[in-house]
Amino acid sequence: MNYYPQLNETVHRAVLPNGLTVITVSRKGFRKKLAYFAADYGAIHRLFRLSGKEICHPAGIAHYLEHKMFDMPEGEVSEQFARLGAMVNAFTSYDMTAYYFSCTEHFEESLQLLLEFVSTPYFTAESVQKEQGIIGQEIAMSADNPDSKVFENLMGCLYARHRIRETILGTAESIAQITPQILEQCHRAFYRPENMVLCVVGDVDPAAIEAMAAAVLPGQGALGEKCRDWAEEMAALQPYTEQAMDVAMPMFCLGFKCESIGAGAEAARQEILGELAAEALFGESSGLYLKLYEAGLIDSSFGGGFETVDGMAMLIASGDSLDPEAVQEAILQQAQLLAEEGIPEKDLLRMKRSALGRRIRDLDSFDSTCFRLCAYHFLEVDYMEFPQLYQQVESRDIQEFLRRVVTRERCGLSVIVPRDQTEETP
Amino acid sequence: MVTTISLLPGVTLRHIYDNRFRQGCLSLQLLRPMAEKEAAANALIPAVLLRGCRQYRDLRAITLHLDDLYGASVGALVRRIGDWQTTGLYCGFMEDAFAMDGDAILAPMIDFVRQLLTQPLFAEAHVESEKVNLVSTIESHLNDKRAYAMEQLLKKMCQADTFGIPRLGNKEDVKALTADGLRTHWESILRSSPMEIFYVGTAPAQTVAQLLRDALAGIHRDPVILPPQTGFAGGLTGEFTETMEVNQGKLCMGFATPITIRDPGFAAVQMLNMIFGGGMTSKLFTEIRENRSLCYAIGSGCHGTKGILTVSAGIDSSKKDAVVQEILHQLQLCREGEITDAEMEAARQALRTSLQATEDSPGALEGYYATAALSGLNKTPEQYIRAVEAVTKADVMAAARSMALRTTFFLQGVTA
Repeated sequence: MNYYPQLNETVHRAVLPNGLTVITVSRKGFRKKLAYFAADYGAIHRLFRLSGKEICHPAGIAHYLEHKMFDMPEGEVSEQFARLGAMVNAFTSYDMTAYYFSCTEHFEESLQLLLEFVSTPYFTAESVQKEQGIIGQEIAMSADNPDSKVFENLMGCLYARHRIRETILGTAESIAQITPQILEQCHRAFYRPENMVLCVVGDVDPAAIEAMAAAVLPGQGALGEKCRDWAEEMAALQPYTEQAMDVAMPMFCLGFKCESIGAGAEAARQEILGELAAEALFGESSGLYLKLYEAGLIDSSFGGGFETVDGMAMLIASGDSLDPEAVQEAILQQAQLLAEEGIPEKDLLRMKRSALGRRIRDLDSFDSTCFRLCAYHFLEVDYMEFPQLYQQVESRDIQEFLRRVVTRERCGLSVIVPRDQTEETP
Repeated sequence: MVTTISLLPGVTLRHIYDNRFRQGCLSLQLLRPMAEKEAAANALIPAVLLRGCRQYRDLRAITLHLDDLYGASVGALVRRIGDWQTTGLYCGFMEDAFAMDGDAILAPMIDFVRQLLTQPLFAEAHVESEKVNLVSTIESHLNDKRAYAMEQLLKKMCQADTFGIPRLGNKEDVKALTADGLRTHWESILRSSPMEIFYVGTAPAQTVAQLLRDALAGIHRDPVILPPQTGFAGGLTGEFTETMEVNQGKLCMGFATPITIRDPGFAAVQMLNMIFGGGMTSKLFTEIRENRSLCYAIGSGCHGTKGILTVSAGIDSSKKDAVVQEILHQLQLCREGEITDAEMEAARQALRTSLQATEDSPGALEGYYATAALSGLNKTPEQYIRAVEAVTKADVMAAARSMALRTTFFLQGVTA
């Protein structure tokens, strides 16, 4: 058990005999309980080795599996959660798949159900076939969503090899290749206790949770070994990409490729460094933000930060703008200026205080806390140690980061331009 | 648990003491009648207030000050609650106890809000740039096709009702606003409009009340009485179609009932909404998505202040007629009582869980209490849970029978 006095937070961690890590955050006096059961496996992990054999699954497999896990021999599992008053859902990201529920009553029964359904592969040819219609519509919906497209296009523009080039959902063609056998193989390879974490936030008993979790996901056979065949040049593949859609104003997403942050203590420090560098460069209290806002080049939709995925990292900024290229130029120039002049100590202290305050406030969100604990667990980092990490970043680190990363060579710009073709018929 | 204190004429503080959170939350809302002639001005004002005041003259000065307050946030708050529109600010800030070296956050935060409200600059440049931003926000509703289709449905369905007025006003009205006009309007509504203030955190009610009384002391309050909330007044009926180059069609249907959030029968309407289309176990989701794979997203929503129930679905455009038929068929089943005990219980549980969880987040508490009193739902979450517990299947059937289809809007996809 760890107590973090600066956060007034108590966290229990245990690695069970079956290899599963269980993290419990005690929140006394709350009725809500939230449980995440997450696998260190996402859309980019479709190439792997299993018992010496190399296997490549169709794009979209991790997300497809996530959908099909809800099928149980006795029916759709959501209905069973609903009967308990719990709300269940799941998501697939580039490098993680998570199943979660929240409830105020019947926590033990709901947790048992979560552990069971994620441990039980049950795929019939008929249900796998039927899912293609549903995911096909999800793909169509995403193709109409400019927020998704502007980001996905940027990934295709920046990356030559890393699988973040591909969409999480896959394509109509790729998902048509998915069979029950492929889903089973995928489940066997990655939904294994040593590759997963169970994280619970609420007024709960850690020992009882650990006891329940010890009984699931029996380890059988070998763990899939991810093939990270995606070593990248730091130069962007292409500088620019554009697509026309039904949007009111041009939207942009601007990215700078960074080296992967790896894992462990240094990864956590790199993450904070990236966050502070983004804040110094174009955060709301930066001089650049005010200049761009007052010039009408950005509006309150503008935002950005430092993003990391297994095997890659990037500094990213996005928003609506009538002139995305002018925003890009201004950011490049400002980075050069900061890299030369540095960041005054008092400005850095103020930025750290602000970032720290926002992270502490964010702990009030059960969802955000659970998500971060899982994601950092896979990075082999104790998330709750963040207050100390801010002290380890100095002004010259940020200077060096901006000099290295925010360059024309590493930069890609994705723009969605308006297409004006609407008509109304009575 | 809510302490209600009248601070000044027409200024009400609702205070909740809670020591479980790391952040406090404070919202201030001026209440206005929803009206074409001022909706745009009310929507624009908070954004202009946040551009500068006498001491903090631009965005950067404001953000630097908020950084010093441990990354506190102040945002524009513009809500539509039935026939009323609210305009004001929402603040989130770390509790004093987590600050270093005994720094205070709450007191400087309230003083900052005082300056934003009572010493605004309304600089020409700020007003013009926020007008551009608001117009682009209104136009960007087009980016989210599902939200766009829903907005079009409500505009048509509620043409004779204030509910048809967009929450942020119309862009033509935004463009016509001037800095002088805006300042005059603000000074007038700050004096005359009822003001609702909500706080949740660890500071005692009397402390918060005193800080706010001091902050608002300079305003010469002369409050007016708002017209009361009313039920749905009608608009265009029938089916409307718009064509756009999209992969997926968006179908929206609007139903109306005389039962509103102010009626005792409203809990049954919410139960109906849950059973019909309120979640992953609803009839619409299970039948149209799971059993027939006709869509990815489908659901219903309920606007209790007006007695409106809407259905929204993202579908393959060629399947529209089949989906419409099935939606109406599922509502018919609710009217006829084709509702299992499991469906009743799942709906009840889902409502109970979400009402109970309201008390576990500062934002959810603010959202509930700052709107419940205004919409006419004078119940705490606990009292409301008891109303939900008492709903019978016959009540749900009656609620379903009270629903009449008024208007359908279809955003039809054509492939490029």
